[in-house]
Amino acid sequence: MIKIENLSKIYRVGDIEIKAINDLSMTIEKGEFLSIVGPSGSGKTTLLHLMGCLDVPTSGRIFIDEVEVSSLSPSEVTRLRREKIGFVFQEFNLLPVLNAVENVELPLRYQRVSGRERRRRALEALSRVGLENRAYNRPTQLSGGEQQRVAIARALVTQPVLVLADEPTGELDTANTCKVIELMRDLNRETGQTFAIVTHNPMVADYTRRIVTLRDGSIYSDQAVEEKELACEDGDLGI
Amino acid sequence: MFKYILRNMWRRKTRTILTISGIVVGIFALTVLGGLSARLTQQVNGAKVWFSRQINVVPAGESLFGGAGRYLEISKVAEIEKVPGVKVAVAGIGFPRENGGGFFGPPDLIIGYDLSRSERSAELLELLQIRDGRNLGEGDQGKVALGATVAKKLDARVGGMVTLKGRLFQVVGIYQPTLSTADSFAFIEYQDALDLFRAENPYFQIRDIAGSINVLPEPGVDLEELAARIEEQVEGVKAISPKEAEAQISQFSLIFNSILLGIAFVALLVGGLSIINTMVMSVSERIYEIGLKKAIGAETRSILFEYLVESAMIGFLGGAIGMLLGLLAIFILNRLTQANQVTVFAVTTTVVVGPVIFSVILGTLAGILPARRAAGLKPVEALKGD
Ligand SMILES: Nc1ncnc2c1ncn2[C@@H]1O[C@H](COP(=O)(O)OP(=O)(O)O)[C@@H](O)[C@H]1O
Ligand SMILES: [Mg+2]
Repeated sequence: MIKIENLSKIYRVGDIEIKAINDLSMTIEKGEFLSIVGPSGSGKTTLLHLMGCLDVPTSGRIFIDEVEVSSLSPSEVTRLRREKIGFVFQEFNLLPVLNAVENVELPLRYQRVSGRERRRRALEALSRVGLENRAYNRPTQLSGGEQQRVAIARALVTQPVLVLADEPTGELDTANTCKVIELMRDLNRETGQTFAIVTHNPMVADYTRRIVTLRDGSIYSDQAVEEKELACEDGDLGI
Repeated sequence: MFKYILRNMWRRKTRTILTISGIVVGIFALTVLGGLSARLTQQVNGAKVWFSRQINVVPAGESLFGGAGRYLEISKVAEIEKVPGVKVAVAGIGFPRENGGGFFGPPDLIIGYDLSRSERSAELLELLQIRDGRNLGEGDQGKVALGATVAKKLDARVGGMVTLKGRLFQVVGIYQPTLSTADSFAFIEYQDALDLFRAENPYFQIRDIAGSINVLPEPGVDLEELAARIEEQVEGVKAISPKEAEAQISQFSLIFNSILLGIAFVALLVGGLSIINTMVMSVSERIYEIGLKKAIGAETRSILFEYLVESAMIGFLGGAIGMLLGLLAIFILNRLTQANQVTVFAVTTTVVVGPVIFSVILGTLAGILPARRAAGLKPVEALKGD
């Protein structure tokens, strides 16, 4: 699914070089549900951006579905992102002038899916995350947890093979964190989509099946985890 | 898509409204002046038609519009008629119908033509189309033929009487509107005109003079060549051919159109800069959102398009509102001056559509820079930039 070979990303600030990613190699198989953890500044976000083709590496290669990303033209990269990758960021995932369903529709719009089909699929995705009754609310009318679930709906509406999430629960309380992680894991099980989740939160990492720990831009440890059952307290979340 | 762009515009209501207001002011001025210019163009075109079939002989050093205060000896008429190719020469004298009039547009004129010299003199007035009654002709002392506008103003009927400078004249004919200044002319016999003039200027006892001499050619004679011949053979005159008349008239409207162009330029500058400013601010505020859109698959050109449309929309709204207010002003002003039978503004397709197209183009051009900046943002920079 994703193969990373000797990846480096060096930022130059004045005379100082910051090796955000330092000669990192790893492979992610299709259908994996993994977390990327590590202290602040260890390069997690940078790595995720590189995997999502939002940024270009200083050196090294990334293959997504056997295709080497740096060989693609900018518009091919855009297309790859649009068709194969879904993103969930820490916050401000949604465009404030669009309501929930319009936000979810956005990637389909960029794929030139017709209006009716777009709406149908977006509503379906919203109901998958349990927010069909909030479809016509603007982001400001949604709680942080609901906003993140809308973002997840948007990330999965195009049925991408890879979902990249950068601290998706960073701004959420425990109950909402649990719901969001449960949702992502269920999706992973149902659809076989690959999930890579950057997180600070040990609880989140604990529920993934592989934990990659970064330190100073390199892999410090990479371990498989026993699958655990989630126990979110239902009822008080309005789902 | 448009709904989305409108919502985006509306996020900063005050700023958007202020920017649009700036455009409205510029386009309003442009529309009103455009209406004035359109009316002027109508008059100029009408005048060009009038002058296209005759030669106007004026004292050397004068132009079509007079100004230097010189007159021609009446004896020049006979001299001109001797020039080969001249069919008839008609002495004419003109002065304002009312003193101090003509605040809006040119004043009404009383034009006296010496139609008694020859039967053919009356052909001069046949250049104008008669609507009611008949043309002024030989021996029409005490009679008047009126242009369409002045006829309306004086509430004149064929066969009825009108007062010119305190004297009664019988109306023999009313001409078709030409949309030119000829519509506000009252044509009378030369001697009558001299009498009126003398009565008003007792210390300026003129006799046997003409302000200009209108010349009609024999059939098939080239007017340009004839004009040159007249200047060659008659001393102290300037013969204005149709071509030169057109040039002089165009010069006149050129000045006005230059002013219009100047206003358009100022509107362009002020409006354009304020749109650029607004759009640059909008893009800066939405850098993170632009990054987000790119992350989820927006193409560079769809971002470019989005911001160009937003900018063009500001131009369009400002242009449309400004134009409508301009039309309203034109309507009201025309209504106010209607009592005097004066039309100051004309509304043509150009007057309506021109300013709107102008401001949409302005908006689009002003949007290019900010839109390119938005489109050129790298997703990762945009996402981290917050
Ligand atoms: N645009 C940038 N310019 C300079 N340095 C950067 C930039 N982005 C990230 N860095 C640096 O790269 C390192 C890794 O950053 P990041 O990937 O954001 O870490 P994490 O997400 O693990 O906290 C940090 O030291 C950070 O300061
Ligand atoms: Mg980070």
